[in-house]
Amino acid sequence: MDTLTNWRERLISKTTRPTLVTTYRYWLWLGFLIVIVGNGVYQYSKQWRTGLYVTGMRDRISWGLYISAFVFFIGISHAGTLISAILRASKAGWKAPVTRIAEFITAVALLVGAAFVLIDMGRPDRIFNVFLFGRWQSPIMWDVMAITTYLTAAIIYLYAPMVPDLAMYRDRLATKVGPVRNFIYETLALDWNGSPTQFKLLGKAITIMMLIIIPIAVSVHTVVSWIFAMTLREGWNTSIFGVLFVAGAIFSGIATLILVMAVLRRIYHWEEYLAPKHFLYLGYLLAAFGAFMIYANINEYLTSGFKLEEAGEFAFRQLFLEDFAFMFWFYIIGGLLGPIVLMLIPKTRTIAGVVVAAILVDIAMFLERYFIVVTGLRVPVMPYEPASYAPTFVEWSIFAAGLAFFVLLITVAIKIFPMFAVWEMVEEHEVSLAREQAEEELAREPGTADLGASTRPPSTTRHVAEGGAS
Amino acid sequence: MTYRPIRSIARLAVSIFVAVTVLMITTPAFAAGIEIAVGAPEHVSVGQQVEVKAVLSEDGVPVEGAEIALTYQASMAGESARVELATATTDETGIAVMIYQQRADDNGEMQVVYLGPGTDPVEPYVFTIAVEEDGPQLYRNESGVEIPFLNGTLVILLIATVWFFIALSAIYLVRVGRAGRLAETSFTEDGSMWISVLLAAAAVFTAIGMVIVFVRAPVSNKDVTDPDVYDRTPVVYIDETYPYSGFGLNDESIARTGDPIVDGRALYFKYGCAACHGLNGQGATIGPTLVDEIGSFGSFSNDVREGPRGMPAYDDATISNENLEKIYTFLKEDG
Repeated sequence: MDTLTNWRERLISKTTRPTLVTTYRYWLWLGFLIVIVGNGVYQYSKQWRTGLYVTGMRDRISWGLYISAFVFFIGISHAGTLISAILRASKAGWKAPVTRIAEFITAVALLVGAAFVLIDMGRPDRIFNVFLFGRWQSPIMWDVMAITTYLTAAIIYLYAPMVPDLAMYRDRLATKVGPVRNFIYETLALDWNGSPTQFKLLGKAITIMMLIIIPIAVSVHTVVSWIFAMTLREGWNTSIFGVLFVAGAIFSGIATLILVMAVLRRIYHWEEYLAPKHFLYLGYLLAAFGAFMIYANINEYLTSGFKLEEAGEFAFRQLFLEDFAFMFWFYIIGGLLGPIVLMLIPKTRTIAGVVVAAILVDIAMFLERYFIVVTGLRVPVMPYEPASYAPTFVEWSIFAAGLAFFVLLITVAIKIFPMFAVWEMVEEHEVSLAREQAEEELAREPGTADLGASTRPPSTTRHVAEGGAS
Repeated sequence: MTYRPIRSIARLAVSIFVAVTVLMITTPAFAAGIEIAVGAPEHVSVGQQVEVKAVLSEDGVPVEGAEIALTYQASMAGESARVELATATTDETGIAVMIYQQRADDNGEMQVVYLGPGTDPVEPYVFTIAVEEDGPQLYRNESGVEIPFLNGTLVILLIATVWFFIALSAIYLVRVGRAGRLAETSFTEDGSMWISVLLAAAAVFTAIGMVIVFVRAPVSNKDVTDPDVYDRTPVVYIDETYPYSGFGLNDESIARTGDPIVDGRALYFKYGCAACHGLNGQGATIGPTLVDEIGSFGSFSNDVREGPRGMPAYDDATISNENLEKIYTFLKEDG
């Protein structure tokens, strides 16, 4: 098993590299992000003092960039759930290098998304009234409920599979990192020694979370869509919103995961682990969800457009032909058809092609959130001229700060936490090695090899952390 | 018998004075020439179609082509105003029939008023129609459909179940830490179990908190019908059946009382001014106060037509000059 040991050691050194080596470019990047976040904080202080007057939001269009950003970030957070939980539950053989990054995106995006709700509030000091006087009949309450549940579950689901890797960091990096990180590893590693008892208990914790987090994640974005769909507004008044939002969330979540993976792969030379096949599989998922989104959109617009009640005409005109037509058609052609075309053409079926598709999808999905929020509120419900809305500099600054903060949290996390589920990757690698061996044997002496034994559950791989401990 | 002409003349004068006074008190319309007489049912119930007949005459001659209106006293948003229920024009016999649907549970003082074409003031005919008590109300006071088992308890059970599993998973992590501490090869002196205990405690605390928030949510859906916990001030009455008509603040007929302040206030509601500038024009989060800073009608009119600083512009197709003047009068005099 010498090859396995070598493979494992190389993986560990590659994984710990970001924690041990920090170049000047990292600090430059960190500084750049802090400047953007700082500007956002300063602009928010203006909003805090003057009120929402500094935004473009007024009485009739009272939701804008902030709520779009909220929906977008909550959507991104579905990356972790789908990739990690669904792939883990279905025992997909290629999931291990992808899961940890996806779970980080989930937790971080949820924090940023929830913050945008507070930012959107004119009186954020009244947030506790939600808990004191909230009524469970209110969709806003459902949202608070669902996001709190999801955030708690996401943090546990991120943490539990990381315990063995944190133990490995504790044992191997003790002399190489400072006291702060040593304290973090010692505390979070939970006295992990890789004993069968601990593996059994940890396995139970992971299995429970993996199964419970899938319905929770689906409920979260459904409830987010209900904030709109439970309102008597032309354009929001549709039963497909829950499905459309969940599918769109997973869609943009995969795209964001692809982008983060591509960047980390480039910087830390993780080509061996984040192989083209991972990008391609995710690209195929992207294309599949793109097709589903097209179906859902046709379903949504044709049912209301066919009947075309009075207010519907205005809603359709602004979306298909007038003010928002550019965004809408970019979303349909660039964001939904684009990935499918890129995946269909063999020449663009590469990492670069998948990354381009992911960028298109993320932009398109943000625009979709934006035009859903704004066009819904723009349809007049009283005899007024239709209102107009454009985000102000304050809003753009805070939105940019939200994006930067999302990246900042991941940037900081890279320096502390293992970005690969090392123990799971070794397990996966061992299975594939065993399979290769068995196939070789089978090819040499047909009929004598025992396939069943060679594909046994990888119970012996638990020595990863133990090996680290010795 | 001595003839006393002075006394006779005095008696005659007093008789005439008394007769004229009595006539003036009892038939005030007589002074203006046109007299209104009304025939209406004494009792009605909510939802009923009510027919009110009015006869107009001038010196005993029927008045043809006169426009009249049936009004009643209604109050909304703290303002009391006369609301038009129906209008009609008299035929050659001087008779006009007005039909309205009884919506309110109390009509107060009803009037038949003369609108034209004459310009002399005509005393309105005042009468009352009693509305039967305990009659059906034309607004829904039952909220929703109650389906057995599909209620708050189910929601709370669902939440509790989900949170049970989250907490269970966290407790398994505590056990992972405990197993590590009990092992002989413990890595830290005191162990690091506390972080998982903290995590589990936070999960359990949030779980209990969430359930409590839902359990103690102020009122259930059903209690909305209880007047003690939910104020259902009947601002607008709505029919049960199609076309669900009613009248609300957005109804121009309430702005035809003749009193520019009352009309102005109604229009102030109708065009949605109150949404930003407050119920009394005192200003609110979005719109500035209009009470003391209203200025001349010219500048006021300019602002409304052009819509400065984010205010929507209202052209004269939306608010006529006449209505704008009424709103201005309301804000100037009463705001």
